[in-house]
Amino acid sequence: MIEMHDVYKVYPNGVKALNGINTKIDQGEFVYVVGPSGAGKSTFIKLMYREEKPTHGVILINGVNVKRVRDWKIPYLRRNIGVVFQDYKLLPNMTAYENVAFAMEAVEAPRRKIRRRVQEVLELVGLYDRMNALPSQLSGGEQQRVSIARAMVNNPNFVIADEPTGNLDPENSWDIMYLLEEINSRGTTVVMATHNREIVNTMRKRVIAVEQGVIVRDEQGGEYGYED
Amino acid sequence: MKIETMFRHFKEAFKSLVRNNWMTFAAVSAVSVTLLIFGIFLVFAFNINYMASELDKQVSIRASLNAQIDADQIDQIQAQLKKNPQVKEVNFVSKQQGLQMMKEQWGDDKEFLEGLEKDNPLPDILEIQAKDPQQTEALAKEIRKSYPNQVDQVDHGEGVSDRLLNLSAWVRNMVLVFGLGLAVLAAFLISNTIKLTIFARRREIEIMRLVGASNWFIRWPFFIEGAVIGMLGAIVPVTVVLLGYNAVVSILDADKAYSFFKLLGMWPLSLYVAGLTTMLGILIGVWGSLISIRRFLRT
Repeated sequence: MIEMHDVYKVYPNGVKALNGINTKIDQGEFVYVVGPSGAGKSTFIKLMYREEKPTHGVILINGVNVKRVRDWKIPYLRRNIGVVFQDYKLLPNMTAYENVAFAMEAVEAPRRKIRRRVQEVLELVGLYDRMNALPSQLSGGEQQRVSIARAMVNNPNFVIADEPTGNLDPENSWDIMYLLEEINSRGTTVVMATHNREIVNTMRKRVIAVEQGVIVRDEQGGEYGYED
Repeated sequence: MKIETMFRHFKEAFKSLVRNNWMTFAAVSAVSVTLLIFGIFLVFAFNINYMASELDKQVSIRASLNAQIDADQIDQIQAQLKKNPQVKEVNFVSKQQGLQMMKEQWGDDKEFLEGLEKDNPLPDILEIQAKDPQQTEALAKEIRKSYPNQVDQVDHGEGVSDRLLNLSAWVRNMVLVFGLGLAVLAAFLISNTIKLTIFARRREIEIMRLVGASNWFIRWPFFIEGAVIGMLGAIVPVTVVLLGYNAVVSILDADKAYSFFKLLGMWPLSLYVAGLTTMLGILIGVWGSLISIRRFLRT
């Protein structure tokens, strides 16, 4: 469960990104975060995996106050959160298999378990046959599927995605959405910031709209609600 | 930490060294150049220290004995001096021996000394060495006072020995200051080069942090990389310095004219130079990599 109480974020350069956010996301929910560019969506997402600290307010992840977590303990917090980005953030000189295995090696999982689990998730994202390919040999959609495989390989409670379909054509975008829905159906909370109206309006999940650093709309089965 | 993890860190470190081969080459070269200077310097430092201590040893007191005193009295003075805690060594040099030594020193001009055997003008001498070379002067004064009748003249090469002692202390200080400065300079150079390798891999570090790798998990490969760069960087300078030194020693040995210019032998000097140079290389390599990675681990 993710809770935010009266959260403000002011960046050192004076930009006020968030101005009093209050919300609660339950375990197993699927949430879209929408809003115009510069509304604070990315900051909202970054606070959840502790890339940024709130200037004011409390963020609880499974009851833990994220602001109070000491720097050296942040890695342990992150093991519970899978992150997916618009630009995939894959390591260019590692194969698909190695990129996914890397996330398990980093948390010191046993070697045998790594091999079994990595093959399992690559099969799930439909890239079992391409596991020895380098990112440069994969299409954008395939690269994003590798990054989703990496995000879920450690069985996190949360998967947080920042515009995961931003660089993809509609067909590939839908592949990604089906995957995230599949992950969500297994009990993982998914929070996704997006600009994709078609996807939001078709999937009909909970929608949180952020404008000028505050939540202006929060509805179940909501619509995208903006004209791009 | 699991052995498996340590194994992984080593594998990663070596993979990265090979993968960033040009960067590795640059870093190793930077280490080599600085360690070469350090190595040459080290050889000089060891030899200057050695020469200074040799000079210290040569600073001795020469007490000329009164011609009136007999052998028993000489033995007595010698025994008393040996008991003195300040004294390291006492040697009796008779006037015959003294003349012999003088002839040897004068070499081809020794005919000037012919005929002196009959009426040897030289005194018998006690050669005394102080335990602490710095105390030579004080000891000389003490001897002058204790044996006003038995000893005619006490001589310890006043100015000369003082100046030598000052010089050797000065040289030691210079060695220390210059050596420290050089080490800092080398560390700076290496940390900058390793920063480049880390910079090339900042994406990897970013992802490691995102997937929940602990800070030490991220640091270890760089730590090992730094140590290996330092070690590799020591190979060439150690070889060059030792081979060069060996050549210099054999040239000086062959030419007896420089025999007063005594250098340390290859052993155990080569062990010290190799050990210290490699250790310094590893130390600055590791230090450099830890410094450089620090700013990538800030959250």
